[in-house]
Amino acid sequence: MSAAEKMSRRDEMETLLPFYLNGSLEGSDLEAVEEWLASDPAALAALGEAEAEFSGTAAANEAIRPPADALSRFAKALDAEAGPARQPAASSFLAQVWARFTAVPAGVAWAAAAALLALVMVQSLVPPGGKGSDFEIAGAQDDLAKMPFALVKFKPDAKMSDISAFLDQNELKISGGPTADGVFRIAIPATTAADYGKVLGLIAAQPFADAVIEGRKPASGG
Amino acid sequence: MTAATETDRALVDRVAKGDRAAVRLLFMRHHARVYRFVARQTGSEMMADDIANEVFLELWRQAPGFEGRSEVSTWLLGIARFKALSVLRKKKEDWIDDDDAAQVPDSADTPEVVTMKQDKGAALRSFVDALPEEHRTVIDLAYYHGQSVAEIGEVLGIPVATVKTRMFYARKKLGEALKAAGYDRGWP
Repeated sequence: MSAAEKMSRRDEMETLLPFYLNGSLEGSDLEAVEEWLASDPAALAALGEAEAEFSGTAAANEAIRPPADALSRFAKALDAEAGPARQPAASSFLAQVWARFTAVPAGVAWAAAAALLALVMVQSLVPPGGKGSDFEIAGAQDDLAKMPFALVKFKPDAKMSDISAFLDQNELKISGGPTADGVFRIAIPATTAADYGKVLGLIAAQPFADAVIEGRKPASGG
Repeated sequence: MTAATETDRALVDRVAKGDRAAVRLLFMRHHARVYRFVARQTGSEMMADDIANEVFLELWRQAPGFEGRSEVSTWLLGIARFKALSVLRKKKEDWIDDDDAAQVPDSADTPEVVTMKQDKGAALRSFVDALPEEHRTVIDLAYYHGQSVAEIGEVLGIPVATVKTRMFYARKKLGEALKAAGYDRGWP
């Protein structure tokens, strides 16, 4: 191999090294780089230099910090584009309260939760117009109260947006809480004990879940 | 499939059906990288904020037409690139007001001066920042965004051979800058 050919090969390998490092190289290009790394004493030093570039580029990018309120502003822009989100009939007031939580920092939301729950309880105890005897609790809320549930404590640094998205995706709803210890009651639409167990496992596997405790299970087995 | 493991493509499918939770999840996964990509393209975090938001609104609009021929991250970067170029063309150079100028790399310190002040890592970072935009973008897309040669070609709308040529010259310039600053790495 002539000096010119060797230099040409070196140029080609140096060009491919960034893609070798980011794991996107495949096929003959990958084989060529690996063969070069195994056979040329200069190759490992070159790899070290590319790794330094990798670190420098990552540092330069990560020094740029996106605004902390980007998600909430995007959610507003999305609502402006697509119209207000439809609220599921069964979730009414608590879902709206929860949706509002997602727009504020976790610490503030946890603190506000107790006060809002008190408001919910007062609304369910005091009938409109002060008439007590013929007052009937709304069916959807009553259904929530009768559903199987689990008791869940979220980590203090849990992001409200993550929790909200998870609950939405799995059709779970907050049906009560928090207690003084920060425990929420989550209604679980499972009809068998097996399904109930799966949902509990799913909740426990989430990075924002601190503790999950069994509550009322479905009456039927399975 | 759980929220933690649901793929980007599955989420785009949900977005196509009008699922806002899915678009929020995609926003959380990709916003920071899209924002940084645009900030590096435009040199303005103010523009990056607006454009990154627009990218995810575009995701909401275009999700029904997403055919899955590329990764979602590549698709988003392609939209970001297009929007950044459109805004830059529209605003030409008058967007560089006093506030934005403060965020453009300071040309008073040449790479050599920076090197004298700082260590090799910091110097390398400043050399990357000082690369011409077309070279720095290829470096960013490969090293930071983990894009393949073909994916970079898709994001930038250029042939694969051009991606390789730009990468070659970008790395060559970095090597020359390091050499000029007293760090000879043996290539080029």
